[in-house]
Amino acid sequence: MLKTLARSCLAATMAFGGLAASSMAVMAQDKPGGIITVATIGEPNTLDPMAATGDLLGMVTQHFLETLYTFDKEWNVTPLLAADMPEISDDGKIVTIVLREGIKFHNGKTMTSDDVVASLERWLKIASRGQLVADKVEKVEAVDINTVKISLSAPFGPLPALLAFNNSAAVILPKETLAEPLTEFIGTGPFMLKERRPDQYIQLVSFPDYKPLNGDADGFGGRREALLEEVRFVPVPDANTRVEGAVAGQYDFAELLPVESYDRLTGQTEPMLTESFGWPMFIMNTKQGVMTDQDMRKAVQSLQNSDDLMLAAFGEERFFKVDGAMYPEGYVWRNEAGVEAYNQGDVEQAESLAEKAGYDGEPIRILTSRQYEFHYKMAQVLDAYLKSAGLKSQLDVVDWATLVQRRADPALWDIFITHSPFLPDPALIAPLPASYPGWWSTPEKEKLLTALNTETDLEKRQAIWSDIQGLIYEQAPFYKVGDFAALAAKSPKVEGFEASPWPYFWNVSIKQ
Amino acid sequence: MASYVLKRFTGMIVVLFVVATIVFVIVRIAPGDPAAVMLGPDATPSDIAALRDRLGLNQPLLVQFGVYLGQILTGDLGDSIFLNMPVLTALGQRAEPTFFLTLFSILIATVIALPIGILSAYHRGSLFDQASTTLAMFAASVPSFWLALILIQVFAVRLGWFPVAGYGGPDTTLLERLHHLVLPAVTLGVVSSALILRFTRASMLDVLDDDYIRTARSKGMAETPVILKHAFKNALIPILTVIGITAALLISGAIVTETVFGLPGVGNLVVSAVMRRDYPVIQGALLVVAALYVLINFAIDMLYLVIDPRVRF
Repeated sequence: MLKTLARSCLAATMAFGGLAASSMAVMAQDKPGGIITVATIGEPNTLDPMAATGDLLGMVTQHFLETLYTFDKEWNVTPLLAADMPEISDDGKIVTIVLREGIKFHNGKTMTSDDVVASLERWLKIASRGQLVADKVEKVEAVDINTVKISLSAPFGPLPALLAFNNSAAVILPKETLAEPLTEFIGTGPFMLKERRPDQYIQLVSFPDYKPLNGDADGFGGRREALLEEVRFVPVPDANTRVEGAVAGQYDFAELLPVESYDRLTGQTEPMLTESFGWPMFIMNTKQGVMTDQDMRKAVQSLQNSDDLMLAAFGEERFFKVDGAMYPEGYVWRNEAGVEAYNQGDVEQAESLAEKAGYDGEPIRILTSRQYEFHYKMAQVLDAYLKSAGLKSQLDVVDWATLVQRRADPALWDIFITHSPFLPDPALIAPLPASYPGWWSTPEKEKLLTALNTETDLEKRQAIWSDIQGLIYEQAPFYKVGDFAALAAKSPKVEGFEASPWPYFWNVSIKQ
Repeated sequence: MASYVLKRFTGMIVVLFVVATIVFVIVRIAPGDPAAVMLGPDATPSDIAALRDRLGLNQPLLVQFGVYLGQILTGDLGDSIFLNMPVLTALGQRAEPTFFLTLFSILIATVIALPIGILSAYHRGSLFDQASTTLAMFAASVPSFWLALILIQVFAVRLGWFPVAGYGGPDTTLLERLHHLVLPAVTLGVVSSALILRFTRASMLDVLDDDYIRTARSKGMAETPVILKHAFKNALIPILTVIGITAALLISGAIVTETVFGLPGVGNLVVSAVMRRDYPVIQGALLVVAALYVLINFAIDMLYLVIDPRVRF
């Protein structure tokens, strides 16, 4: 009997041990694994995405701070912390958002409508994109524990896109952590912030209580899973060091590499090209100086040869596209309105338009910086073009901090150079509001922009946008130069990564 | 001696006050707005104005200067606009990499420069002397970033002996972090060795012709103690001065090397602060660097007393 008992105990122990082992094996498979090191172009100025803009800030913080909505791979707005798309009343003035239930913050608290209301109120107050809509918001209130209502004085079509954007983002934070400035960065994301040592690393670890959406991943939307144990963002301002670090295998991902390093990315890394990553533009000062005259602006517009400009800036054709539409293929906002005025390279027409404008030889001041080397290269070509048409030009090359200050003063420049990613909604395009340097404001444009912002039907908004694009080429407040690609490097050990303008590392794993 | 120390201390205070004033004025004269940089390219003029108010940047300059001086007197260098921490904390975080980088660079520079400089002087005019002069010229001429890139290519990328850049992560030990400093220290050490080598040679040449050296030799003393015990000891004062100045310059001047190697040192901090117009960090960091510079010079002067008993202050 004792033997039987002993055998039974042994069998039970072995069974239990086997069960425990298989459970541990399953748990080990489900438990996030691996650390990925991401080399970034620098250190974000803050970790508060409401307090500042900047792609780097959005890229880092989107891992631990989430918004009510986000974008799928077609750049449609899709729910993230919201349970569904917002319910908009017939008059467009009441926006009701039902929240997903059981969403945990990284401090263990459950998200409620009070947190959402407080976060949105802060966003409306301090975020530059929140302020685009703030004057139209009458009230943000909690209807019940899981429902929020936004009352508007007038319909505002871009609101869902603004609530989805990770730049100047309407992130949802616990109400009690909202301070000025923010000192705790507690969100709902699949990763949480563990430590930040400025100029050294930002350490994110997986959040075990993250509640992903059901279904599959879809761009930034859909299911998000922290398959990695840790994501480390390491600032590496020197581009060549990012390249060498990727080649040596020190970095699993390195962003924004010089395109001329493409062929070097071998060995322990491989190149990743994101086509149509962004577009450079020449913004004209319509408020003061020589560019206030529309014929002068059209003279400058007609001079531009985008083939030359993009080649000078990006070196090889595989890294850019010459395309006059404000949105590339694949975006619902793409249209061809006005593009016959793009890439003309017509010196004679420019001379004729300048004469019509009564150009008196005043130097056209081009404000640029070497912060982005491609800005500077395009500025040099623009300078040459202006001179070829008999126009005097002056190249003012300053550091970025000085450029940002100077471009706010209309007395100090005539053309400045900047760039933008392709934004999910045209209402977000920086030079459209009259407050943005360039200060484009005409009755036609304001009427169309108001229509774009108040219309909620997508098809109608597409038609309005087409009219705006046509107006851009007709009034020439800015000139889109082309589309450029971005080069990154990724280790072959990294799996599940999908290229996007703001790289993300959920649903990404690393082979051990 | 006590009056000398007091005089030096008073002088240090005056120097620091002048540095503080000059830095305060220069950063505010320079174009560029920290609020605009902080808020990013899409900020509206009203956002910028509101932030400037919050940061106290719209107050009259005299008021800002008064606040700044008052903070310094209480040991408070203010808070970084961008890093969301006190300036002293930011400097503290960078103290370790900067300290060890400076120390290792000086050690490497000294190990290269002293023996070669001594032998060069001893064998003046020889092939060795000419070769060492060429080496010194190379070390003085080579851009530090070029040398850094070569070292990265060979020792980090191809051989994999050292990391390419950075100063380790959250779980790295001190030894691993110091391992990250080897290539940057070699870069700075080689570049810094040129001046020390030339000074060593020149200083030794001055001393080797002196009467007491001839006396020591005529008494039958072996060459090695003649050179090392008598000549080198007497040649040490100007050499120490150069080493001290080099160390002081390295504390904040290693910016190119820090950038290429991605090191979070004081130089990197200052340049980032300048690019972003982080006024408190610029002011605080430069004040601390100036203070260290003065202290190092003072320490060198005290070392003179130890080396040469004839020196009196």
